Amino acid sequence: MLKAELRQYADLLSDYTELRVQKNTSKRIALIKGNLAQNDQSSSSGVSARVRKGGSWGFASHTEITDGSVKKVVESARDNAEFLDSRLKRGRSAFESTAPESADDFSSDKPRLSQKQVMDFITDIDAHIAKNYPDLADRRISLRSLDMEKSVLNSDGARRYSMVPRTNIRVSLTLSPAGEPVEVSENFGGLGQFEDLFGEPGDLSEGIERIYEHLQKKAEGVHPDAGVKDCILDADLAGILAHEAIGHTTEADMVLGGSVAGNYVGKQVASELITLVDFANTCLGELCPVPIFIDDEGTKAEDVVIIEDGILQKFMHNKDSAQRFEAAPTGNARAYQYSDEPLIRMRNTAILPGESKLEDMISSIEDGYYLMKPSNGQADTTSEFMFGVVLGYEIKNGKLGRAIKDTTISGVAFDVLKTVSMVSDDMSWSNGGFCGKKQMIPVGMGGPAVKCRINIGGR
Amino acid sequence: MRDRDVIQYCMDSLGERGADKSQVVWKETEKHEINVDNDEISLFRTTYDTQLDLTAIEGNKKGSTSVNKTEKPAVDDAVERVFQLVQTSSEDEAYDIAPKQKPQSFSTGPAQPDPDRMYGLLDDFLTGLDKTYPEIRLIQSVLDFERTTERFVNSNGVDFSTEKGVYHIFLWFASKDGEKTTSFNGIQLSRTELDQDLMELDFLNDSLRESVEHLDARPLEGKFTGDVIIAPQSLVQLVHIYTSLFLGNQALISGTSRLQDKLNEKVASCRLTVHSKPTSEQICDGYFVTPDGFAARDVTLLEDGVLRSFLLDQYGANKTGKERAKTAGGAYVIDAGNQPLDELIGSMDRGLLVNRYSGGYPSSNGDFSGVAKNSFYIEDGELKYPVTEAMVSGNLIDVFREIGGISQERVDLGTAIMPWICSKGVTISGK
Repeated sequence: MLKAELRQYADLLSDYTELRVQKNTSKRIALIKGNLAQNDQSSSSGVSARVRKGGSWGFASHTEITDGSVKKVVESARDNAEFLDSRLKRGRSAFESTAPESADDFSSDKPRLSQKQVMDFITDIDAHIAKNYPDLADRRISLRSLDMEKSVLNSDGARRYSMVPRTNIRVSLTLSPAGEPVEVSENFGGLGQFEDLFGEPGDLSEGIERIYEHLQKKAEGVHPDAGVKDCILDADLAGILAHEAIGHTTEADMVLGGSVAGNYVGKQVASELITLVDFANTCLGELCPVPIFIDDEGTKAEDVVIIEDGILQKFMHNKDSAQRFEAAPTGNARAYQYSDEPLIRMRNTAILPGESKLEDMISSIEDGYYLMKPSNGQADTTSEFMFGVVLGYEIKNGKLGRAIKDTTISGVAFDVLKTVSMVSDDMSWSNGGFCGKKQMIPVGMGGPAVKCRINIGGR
Repeated sequence: MRDRDVIQYCMDSLGERGADKSQVVWKETEKHEINVDNDEISLFRTTYDTQLDLTAIEGNKKGSTSVNKTEKPAVDDAVERVFQLVQTSSEDEAYDIAPKQKPQSFSTGPAQPDPDRMYGLLDDFLTGLDKTYPEIRLIQSVLDFERTTERFVNSNGVDFSTEKGVYHIFLWFASKDGEKTTSFNGIQLSRTELDQDLMELDFLNDSLRESVEHLDARPLEGKFTGDVIIAPQSLVQLVHIYTSLFLGNQALISGTSRLQDKLNEKVASCRLTVHSKPTSEQICDGYFVTPDGFAARDVTLLEDGVLRSFLLDQYGANKTGKERAKTAGGAYVIDAGNQPLDELIGSMDRGLLVNRYSGGYPSSNGDFSGVAKNSFYIEDGELKYPVTEAMVSGNLIDVFREIGGISQERVDLGTAIMPWICSKGVTISGK
C-alpha cells in the first residue's frame, strides 16, 4: 500500500485529517576488533491518522495496513480529538487549504547487493585497518542504514510519496598510549542506498589514513587551556552550532514555549557575515542530505532564511504554529515512525559560505584553537549550548600546533555569532546526524569554517 | 496469527531451517498519551504496536531481525532474513542463547489507563502552574500510559511472560519574564498509580522554583577547582555513563575499560554503594527478563566503593571469560548517606549545585567536560546565586572516588532512586 493510492480513503477524512502509511527499514552491522558484535536488520511499518477538531488533535496508529485498520485508526484519532475538544472547546478556525503533490524516490537504480556482499565490504575495511595499523588498541567499523518510505494524504487533497534512504559507515580507531585510550572517528556516506554511495572498500583508504594521522597526533595531545579563546569552528561544528544552538530556538513551537529568539525578530543577532538557512531540499544548486519536498502535514516545503546578514528573519512552522503566528507554514512538520505525530523539525540547516580562506583564518590567530569534529551537542531556549569536541588543534602564532584531548565548547549562540569575524568560502555537510526532540529524525547540518570567540573546557 | 501461534510458528520455522539455537521475543505495546505544548493540552495519542524479534545461531554464526508484523508472509520473510544474516555472519564461539530456566510469568502495574485521571492531572497541574509559577512555560510535555505484554522463548526451553503497565510523566519547561528566558529544565518520572497531584511532588516543586529563580541567573566568572553537588537527575545520567564506559560489554571486550582488572578492588569512595535493582518493588519501571533471556536479578555493582560486578551480558562474559552480570543494568539505586542536603551545602567552601549536566559524552578514559545547567553557585556554605555559562570538567572515576558526602534525601524517579552527592576537586570555569 506504500506506493498505492491513498485517495481511496478520502471519504473517511471528514475533519481536517492526515493519513500516513510508512515503512522504516534499517540495517546495522558492527565489527569491534574484527568481532562481529552486531548483524541485524529490522523493519517497522504501519498506518496512522491525525485529526484536528476545534484546535485539539487526536492521533492513532496501527501496525496492520489494511482497509479495516485504516478505517479504525481514522475513527480512533477522531475519538481522541473529540475527547480533548469536548473538554477544551477552543473553537479555533480551520487551516488554509492547499493541495500540493509530489513523488520523490531516492532509492538506487542499481541491483541491490546481497547481505554477504555488504558484509564482505565491511570485513575488507576491517582487514585493511588490521593489516596497515597494527599498533591500534581498538578498531570499530559500523554500518547503519535507514530507508524511510512514506505515503501521505490529507483531507485537503495534498499527496506525497517519498523514499529517502541514508547509509553511513563509521570508522573509529583507538590508540592507547600509557593505558589511556584515545579515539578518532569519521563518518562516510549520506543520502542514498549502499550501492550508490560505496564502490570499493579501497575508496575509504584515504579517509582511514586521515583518521589515523589525526589519531597519532591526538595520542600526544594536550588538554586545552580552559577559558574564552579565539577559535575556528570547522564545517561540522559550524553546522551543529547552526542546528542545535540557533535552529532549535527558531522552531516556532520553541518560540511559543519562551525561546529567547522570540524577542529578536528584525534585530541584529549575529555578525553581518552570518546568513543561516534551513533548506528544504536544495542548497546552492545541490541536493541536501535530507531532501523534503512536501512535509508530513502535506505542506510544500520552503527554505526558511532564519538569519540574513546577521538579522533574525523567520521561524520554522507547521500548520498549527503558522496559524498562531499568522504566517505561512514552511513544511517543517516531520514524523520519524508511522506511529509518531509530525513535529516541527529542521531539515538541512546551514550557515552560508563567506569570502575568507581557511589558511588566512588560521594565520590570523595568535593563541587559540582549530576545532574540527563534534561528538554530541545540546542547546536550549536561551541559545546557550554545549558541544563535545573530539578533534582539534592548538593555534599558536598563526600556525597549527599540538592536537588537543577531548573537550567541550559552550556559550550563548547569539553572543558567539556576534563575535564571528571571518567565514570561509567553502562549505560541507554532515550527513549522518539525527536530532532528538521527543522523536528522532535524520537531519542535515552544514556550513563553512567560522572564526569566533568561544568558551572552551579543559584543565 | 495470535501470540502463542506466532511464537510456536517462528520456533518451528527456525528449527526446520536448521538453526542450532533459536530465540523468539514477541512484544505487544499499547500506549495512551496526552501531550502538552506551550501550556496547552494539545494532542491525545493512542498507538498499538507489535514487535517480533527473531535470532538464530547455526555453526557459531548468528543473525537477528525484527519486524512489527505477525501475519504469515511477514513472518516467513523475517525467518528468511535471519538465515541470510546467519550465512553472512562470522563464526564466534561466544554466540549463545540463555540456558533452560524455570518458566515464569511476571506482572506489574495496572492493565488499563485512566484517561480521565490523566487529563485531570495535567489540567490541574496547568491551573496550578498558572497560579503559583506564572513565569513557567511548559514545553512538549507528556503523560502516557504504556501497557506491554511480552513473551521470551528459546530453543533451550526458556519461556518467560511479562505483563507491565506504567505511567510515564515527562515535564519539560523553562521560565520567561519579559525578555528574560531560562534554560530548559525538566523531570522524568515513572509511576504505577496516578494517586498524587503533580504539584504535590516536592522534587517537581523544587525544580519549578529553581527555574523561576534562574530568570536572574548570572554568568559564572573565572576558573577554579571546587566541589560539586550532583543532583539526582544528573547523578543517574553519570551512573549510566560510568557503567557504560567501564563496566559494559564494549569497554571490556575491546579492553579500553580502566576498571578491566579491578573486580573486588576499591575503585570509588567508601561512601558509595550502587545497586541495579530491576526486579525490586522499589523500582516501579524495571524489568524481569534481560535482553539475552535470563531472569533478571538485583545486583550490587559498587559496595562501599568496591567493584562487585561488571555489566557483561552472556556474549560479553563468553568473550572475556568474566562472569555474566545477573542484571542488564539500569534501575540504579544509590544508598542514602548520613547528611541532610542542607548540611552538604553548608560544608562546602566553593563550588556548584549541578541540577542538570549537559555534556559531551566522556572519552573512554572518563574525562568529561560539560555545562552545569540550572545550577547554583555555592560559597562559604551558602547557595549564592543561579549561574549560566558554567562549565565543569574532570574525570568520572575521580568524581566517584572523591565523594565528600551523600545526602539522606533521595528522589524516586521510578526508573532509579538517587540522592545528592558531593564530589571534590572538579574544575569549574566560567566566562
